[in-house]
Amino acid sequence: MTISACSRWAARGDIELSSLADILPILDSNWEAGVAIDLKAVEQLATDQSSLKAAAGLAKPTKWSGVGGSPDGALIWGECAGSGANPYRVMADLRDLGNKCTCPSRKFPCKHVLGLLWLNAESIVPFAPADTPAWVSDWLGRRRGPSAAKPAGAAAPSGEKDLRAARVVEPEATEDPKDAARREAQAAKRNEETERAILDALDALEQWIGDQLRLGLSGFIDDATARCRRIAARLVDGKATALASRIDELPARLLALAAGDRPRGAVVELGKLVLLARAFRAAPRDSAIRRSVATSETRETVLADPSAPRIDTQWEVLAEQVQTRRDGLVSQTTWLLSLAASGPRFAMLLDFFPASAGRRGSVFTPGERFQGELVFYPSQQPLRALLVRRDAAQATLTPEWPAPDQTLSNALTQPLLAEPWAIEIPLLLPQGRIARDDAGGAWWRAADGAAALPVAGKAEGLLSGTELTRTAAIWSGNRLTILAAQSPWGRIGSHD
Amino acid sequence: MTETASAEAIFETMGAILTRWTMGSTAASAASIWRVELGDDPVEAELRLLALSGQFLGTIVTGEPPSTLRVLPDIPTLALPTVSAALRPLVRRILAASKDAASKADVIHFLAARGWTTHPADWMPDASDEDAPDIYAAWRDWAALAAAGETTPRQNGDQLTADNWDDFWPAARKAALIELRRRDPSAARALLEARLGSENADARLRLLTLLSERLSGDDVAFLENLVTNDRAPKVKAMATSMLARLGHGPAVGEDIAELAAFFSVKTKGLLRRSRVIDFETPKTPAQWQRRKVLLEGADLTSFSGALGLAPQDLIAAWDWNVDPAADAGLIKMIVEPGTNAQLAQAAGVVSEHDATGLIVALAARLAPAERARFAAVGLHTHGFRFEMAQAVAGVAARLDDPLSAPSGAKLLTALRRDDAKPSDHVAELHALGLIASRDSARRSLEQLTGAGLLQADPRLDMLRLNAALDDQGEKP
Repeated sequence: MTISACSRWAARGDIELSSLADILPILDSNWEAGVAIDLKAVEQLATDQSSLKAAAGLAKPTKWSGVGGSPDGALIWGECAGSGANPYRVMADLRDLGNKCTCPSRKFPCKHVLGLLWLNAESIVPFAPADTPAWVSDWLGRRRGPSAAKPAGAAAPSGEKDLRAARVVEPEATEDPKDAARREAQAAKRNEETERAILDALDALEQWIGDQLRLGLSGFIDDATARCRRIAARLVDGKATALASRIDELPARLLALAAGDRPRGAVVELGKLVLLARAFRAAPRDSAIRRSVATSETRETVLADPSAPRIDTQWEVLAEQVQTRRDGLVSQTTWLLSLAASGPRFAMLLDFFPASAGRRGSVFTPGERFQGELVFYPSQQPLRALLVRRDAAQATLTPEWPAPDQTLSNALTQPLLAEPWAIEIPLLLPQGRIARDDAGGAWWRAADGAAALPVAGKAEGLLSGTELTRTAAIWSGNRLTILAAQSPWGRIGSHD
Repeated sequence: MTETASAEAIFETMGAILTRWTMGSTAASAASIWRVELGDDPVEAELRLLALSGQFLGTIVTGEPPSTLRVLPDIPTLALPTVSAALRPLVRRILAASKDAASKADVIHFLAARGWTTHPADWMPDASDEDAPDIYAAWRDWAALAAAGETTPRQNGDQLTADNWDDFWPAARKAALIELRRRDPSAARALLEARLGSENADARLRLLTLLSERLSGDDVAFLENLVTNDRAPKVKAMATSMLARLGHGPAVGEDIAELAAFFSVKTKGLLRRSRVIDFETPKTPAQWQRRKVLLEGADLTSFSGALGLAPQDLIAAWDWNVDPAADAGLIKMIVEPGTNAQLAQAAGVVSEHDATGLIVALAARLAPAERARFAAVGLHTHGFRFEMAQAVAGVAARLDDPLSAPSGAKLLTALRRDDAKPSDHVAELHALGLIASRDSARRSLEQLTGAGLLQADPRLDMLRLNAALDDQGEKP
């Protein structure tokens, strides 16, 4: 007899007395509300000992937020901090131990699911009954059936697993001071080599830019994809990977412009590359510049950095953008709006995962609001951030978005004083409205008529048929991408 | 040099710089305004000029809006309230799960029948969405206005008249005409007489169908005029069909006599003698085909007349469920031009004979209360599944305790099976959510969760919406 069979009986309310002798040994003392699991089930579900060990490490309240369960006790869910900017959304159906996690792990179930089940089995945190979040309901609707999950009793062991061994916390190895010094020296040498490689790559980039001017921007525009691919490959070799990705995406940005505007666009794009290369040469250890050229700091580095600003406030999820890049990675960008009176107005949670890992679930629901702490990557213009803590979602905190912090012309240009190579600038626009030109193109026009900005896409439906009291958007130098807006009809998302 | 003049001077220079770079020439020599900043090294000067020009072109030179920007008017507020913010995610999810336009329309009509409309961010009709409930006429017209590139809504606050006909957008005009026909049938017909000729054939057909409501002998002259004078065959056919409903069908001709020869009227019973239609089985495929063609072209009044019966006597005497092809032919005659009384009579007789498919065919022309009644009878007596009951009941039904019907018991049993899958019975549960009254939806939710379904199960979304939605619609 399996736990899932017990729970199905219990859910139906038709457990028979004659079956109790079989059921009782399986039921854990934590049994409540008709569905419960014990740690044995977690052990059986784990694919290997390392998963179990990792799950034990995650079975701590500090790793989790938004933990809850359905009133009937059958579903549990929570959000677990991972290595990325966004937490992973983890959910499980205790009746048959079906489960889902938004992490890119190829293991099924992953350590986060096991961690959630562990939390539940040992009642480490309370799973307060709550309305089932939409992301859990969506998963339920897509489930193929109990066969899609491995029932606990039917789980095929794929190696020896031991709960006790998983619980053991291994003491940190004490390091020989000489080894530490040697390691530090090696790291410093590696950093120097990397810096040298990047500088060489930037030399090659500037030479390449000069070649494009010499050969003519007309030819560059026609052959941008191939030419950019070649220099991007050289930059990857030179460890300037962020810059390589940026150049890989350059042709797409260029082709999005009207044909007549492409020479101007090419000058803007190439000019920003020159500025970024020069900025790196001037301050190769500046973390913000290094992030734009080479790689970003790890999550641990940012969290440990005392200079990284931490903001604990109310946030609204504006939108999520998922884009498959030419380098085979999928970027998942979550835009957040701070509802506080001051401080950074926007935050961007950015994660990458390989396209081969398949579609990844959304981490946030556009429009949801929560109180939470974010740590920003150090920068003159803090924008990219990591989620440190997130409290339970709240329906209505502050009814309205704050007013724009500065005039539109300042908002468009000031970020460029700090980072003139920036491609995208998030904006909070004042009252305005969508207007159309004779060709059907959409424009956001300020209510006072003082400014009008061209909008990317069609901006149809409600977005074009009401006053927009506030609009959150991204300005890319030539087009406005609307993330969300507030209106007399309430919030309007970019896809509404 | 002032700052403005400087920007203008740079702008003037940009044209030459862009032209040179586009052609592959050096441009530093054209940027005398930045001679100091660019320095003497020609290669370096080009890169510096690129950085400066890029900044200038990226910030100062952006798209200028044309002077003719047009702003659409506000999306109008509808006469019914939009569903609450708390229920919007549920409505969105149900609409997203509705795979085809018909099932989406069911949900929209259900909401309208319960006295609610969607939020415009969740769903809006297209201008051409003839299936949208009339309550959305203003949004359809807004969509038409947006598509036409107009910016000013037409005046449509007044009552529709022949003079202000063109001031109304089509959907609002249709809604006004429906309202007028209900209130003053003669005025509506007079309006159509005055304005129908100025519309195209499709519009004429759509407008003419509105006369079905409160059709009476007063409409005969107008319909006969259309049969004689209208240019479009489909309009003529519609007018002919309406005339037949009014007992003004075509005279019995050779075709009808030929059709009648496939049937005969017999009497049966010794004490209470009653008439019954006897079917002469066609002997060859050619005869079957000929009868089919004749059935398709016949009308009820003429056909019953050829058999020496009144239409209601033919319906009563028909031997249902013996010859499906003949049944379908007769139902077609009843549905298209039949009067409400004939439809109700046919539905009653067909229901007694357990002819499920025929009830569905008749249902669309029955009054909502009649539809609900036949759906309930079908559920409790004929073992209708909920999907079938919903097809009969439409979206305005509020059936009491449909889950207690045999199909409900079957459904509960199926959901309790050990091998039940989360994707099973989606359509049945959705249909149950559409036909149940609000109280019944609440009770059904309790029963279904008692049967092992999770409270959050998305298959229960329609029931959940029904249970949560305050029923403030007009009851049939």
